Amino acid sequence: MRRRETACLARHIGAIATRMAWILLNTLHFSLFESSISVSSPSVCCPFCGLLCDDLEIVREGDGVRLERPACPRASRLFSIPDPGQAMIAGLPISLDEACRSAAIILSGSRRPLIGGLGCDVMGHRAALSLAEKLGGVVDHMHGRAQFRNVRAFQDGGWVTTTLSEVRNRADLIVLAGTDASRYPRFFERCLAPASQFGELTRKVVVLGPALSIPAMDGISVSSIPIDAGRLGELFAVMRARLAGMPARAADVAGVPIEQIEALLADMRAARYGVLVWNAAELDFPHADLTIQSAVNLVKDLNQATRWSGLPLGGDDGGTSAAQTCTWQTGYPLRTAYEIAGPHYEPLLFESDRLLKTGEVDALVWISAFDPERTPPAADCPIVVLGRADMRFARAPDVFIPVAVPGVQHVGFLHRMDAVVALPLTAPASSSLPSVAQVLAIIQGETNHAAA
Amino acid sequence: MLRLKNGRIYDPAHGVDGEVRDLYIEDGRIVAAPGPGARIDRDIDLAGRVVMGGAIDLHTHIGGGKMNIARALLPEDHRQDPVPTSGGMHAGCGHAAPSTWTTGYRYAEMGYTACFEPAMQPINARHTHLEMGDTPMVDKGAYAMLGSDDFFLRMLASGADQRLINDYVGWTLDASQAMAIKVVNPGGISAFKFNARSLDLDEAHPYYRVTPRQVVQALARAVHDLGVAHPLHVHASNLGVPGNADTTLATMAAAEGLPIHLTHIQFHSYGTEGERKFSSEAERIADAINRMSNVSADVGQVLFGQTVTVSGDSMKQYGNHRHASPDKWVVMDIECDSGCGVVPFKYRDKNFVNALQWAIGLELFLRVGDPWRIFLTTDHPNGAPFTSYPHLIRLLMDKRFRDSKLDEINAEAAAHSQLRSLDREYSLYEIAIMTRAAPARSLGLTDRGHLGERAAADIVVYRDDADREAMFAKPEYVFKDGQLIVRDGKVVNVVNGALHVVKPEYDKGIEKPLKDYFDRYMTVRMEHVRVSNEEVCTCGASKLIPHVCKGRAA
Ligand code: SF4
Ligand SMILES: [Zn+2]
Ligand SMILES: [Zn+2]
Repeated sequence: MRRRETACLARHIGAIATRMAWILLNTLHFSLFESSISVSSPSVCCPFCGLLCDDLEIVREGDGVRLERPACPRASRLFSIPDPGQAMIAGLPISLDEACRSAAIILSGSRRPLIGGLGCDVMGHRAALSLAEKLGGVVDHMHGRAQFRNVRAFQDGGWVTTTLSEVRNRADLIVLAGTDASRYPRFFERCLAPASQFGELTRKVVVLGPALSIPAMDGISVSSIPIDAGRLGELFAVMRARLAGMPARAADVAGVPIEQIEALLADMRAARYGVLVWNAAELDFPHADLTIQSAVNLVKDLNQATRWSGLPLGGDDGGTSAAQTCTWQTGYPLRTAYEIAGPHYEPLLFESDRLLKTGEVDALVWISAFDPERTPPAADCPIVVLGRADMRFARAPDVFIPVAVPGVQHVGFLHRMDAVVALPLTAPASSSLPSVAQVLAIIQGETNHAAA
Repeated sequence: MLRLKNGRIYDPAHGVDGEVRDLYIEDGRIVAAPGPGARIDRDIDLAGRVVMGGAIDLHTHIGGGKMNIARALLPEDHRQDPVPTSGGMHAGCGHAAPSTWTTGYRYAEMGYTACFEPAMQPINARHTHLEMGDTPMVDKGAYAMLGSDDFFLRMLASGADQRLINDYVGWTLDASQAMAIKVVNPGGISAFKFNARSLDLDEAHPYYRVTPRQVVQALARAVHDLGVAHPLHVHASNLGVPGNADTTLATMAAAEGLPIHLTHIQFHSYGTEGERKFSSEAERIADAINRMSNVSADVGQVLFGQTVTVSGDSMKQYGNHRHASPDKWVVMDIECDSGCGVVPFKYRDKNFVNALQWAIGLELFLRVGDPWRIFLTTDHPNGAPFTSYPHLIRLLMDKRFRDSKLDEINAEAAAHSQLRSLDREYSLYEIAIMTRAAPARSLGLTDRGHLGERAAADIVVYRDDADREAMFAKPEYVFKDGQLIVRDGKVVNVVNGALHVVKPEYDKGIEKPLKDYFDRYMTVRMEHVRVSNEEVCTCGASKLIPHVCKGRAA
């Protein structure tokens, strides 16, 4: 039975798995794309955190590139070109071909592999899902623990959320819950400091928790209320009760005096467009999904009288794209196994660490093409790593295949944290390294051989 | 060359109503009968079979950000309908919010060969094309949503020249790779961000002070001037609100004779009569459509069961959240561009309102006389999943069946409805019009939706079964561009469809103020909003089919 028409070659690397073919496609792929980038706009999209800033100026430097503007420490570090990389088996250099074959042998012998990490672009995610489907594998993202705190709250009750440009233009009260957004280096510069298109906007920022590194911004007042992140849920619950007209009986909630809560609530009700920001990765305690649920319920309730929206920060290392792609292809936002009856979704059981600890998976493919520090978790099973060329390991994985960095060394697509905006990634420092999608296609082709 | 012999052909574009004829197919096209002695590679005898063009759904939410929200929200619904990997087909899930793969397979298995996603937010265009790229079997296209985006409202509020608006609409079609323009709750999605909870046709927007009427008029004019085949696709104000029929009629009149398409009109045909202050205005709406030749509509039929409503209408979906079943819902404000709302819903036949909604939809189908101007939709998945089309077709073609269903619904609703007095039964010819010839004509797809020479060989063959539901659920053969893709209601050959877009002419000078606007206020660059022709294929479409627009001077 034929799979899909192949008039559009770049899409169908999955069907062609010889080495010559992918070198050819690599070049074709670039030329197709470059024509789409307007010359008048040299600005480049940054794949290194969920903000996906697309206003970067990149200059060539030697073999690689350097971030010229704006200042972002994270982007500066990660745009700098990694060394060319060397495929390895158990720490010993080997050809790319051999490494792929080795990976295919490991995976062909696996009953249920975990295709994890998923730090790549949409084309990589498509290839990862295709491989998982073929092998009867499970998929989860390296930030799955944080992702699923949100997903569980979302699947339980839904939510009201917004996107970055809405925040930039409308938000007059921004409440940061358990985060100071510092993991998103340009959050304030991009989303709050600039002027609104709707004229004069007096913005207030309130941090619930430590406000360590919020920059001073013209005309924006910043205050903070110390509270332990683990007790934010109590605070939100009391605020909801007060909104519903119930009396406040305690003198303080989670250490916050009731007068301060009342004052904050009054501000929140008076906001024209309030935004409640959280970062699930920083809500790192048991049952944090319930804290998130109480936050989104507060936002829902506030909407009865004025406008409020949530803004979940996240989406690093291709996390948003991984969840989006898996959702449209299977119906489920990751933590899904391909089983005989169809995709099987178990958000609690199919957590990477748990699967590896219990031995419910017997091989791990770790995909991490953005950040060399995101190395695979410890595991007793064979590990195949598709990583940035400059990735270093405490313990060499069974197979290491260096891959091109999406948005630096190869073109692609990536979603921003709000999932609405998917942006084109360019290749300012294009490289001869294969992309994640290409390597996975080769491995999948080799497992075909093994099956035949 | 392939010959389909002796089939009964229903090809309304050429006035062919059930004549027995042979069809010849070569290189993906229908060709003239070759002379004697021509080489026929394959012959299929279709004696007694019904032959139509491939069906075209001009309003179905097959992909895009809000559909993905609906999918992620409803694991419990997917669990009822898991889809395994089989042959060349991918695993996935079905029912209310199906996976992209399953969407494509199941549409093809019902004889559909083209589907149009009606609510693509320009800022979400790249994502939408990625999803549609993973929707196999059928051709695709999308309508770009405008009318609550701040750039447009700023222009309108500042009294910008219509030509400038035309350029912006042209740019949007081009940059987002769209087939048409849709407006959803004109200006209302934006008004909701300013805390308005409703916005009537002649009510001033709380910030811009322009009215939905002005929005509709400016956009209808732009679509017309640019020469886009499909009229402005309007999801009118006051969706689902009892008494909204007046707004709907006023919206039709607001077009002032320009072509206008009113979508899911069932949800806009409500009165306030009776004890429950909810009644059918289907007759008044249908009369207006019958009278106004510039108006077309699709129905958005409600059928009973679990589904999920997905809409760009964040304002009205917020208002509907109390009805969510299961009790969870999502509303989103989107990027100074639009919004969306996702509310799971269970239509119950014993519920007065739901039962009347069902009857109103059917009344509209039966009361609008011209099948060229009323299209068969459930507004998938809003009224029901698209997989219920065969059932809907039977309701339209079989009065006895319809009356038996009428006996089952909420008795009070049945008593209120005039449905039982309507004897009309759709003919196969009329079904072929409303699901093939008419949508193709409305969209300007000149080589689809018919079986004439040089048409794309998208062909469906049905067994002539008195049970029309069984008949339309399982075509015997489906050909896509001449290739056999479905046999006996099952995919036998996986293909990927093309993407249809329009490429109107417009003054690229609009990019100057637009770029300035994006640089100043947005968190995305204008250049990155644009989806290039090459990207469309990388997203997954087998090819890009651009349709030229013949601009009409402003
Ligand atoms: S803030 Fe994030 S997306 Fe923006 S430049 Fe820095 S790392 Fe890149
Ligand atoms: Zn609509
Ligand atoms: Zn719709």
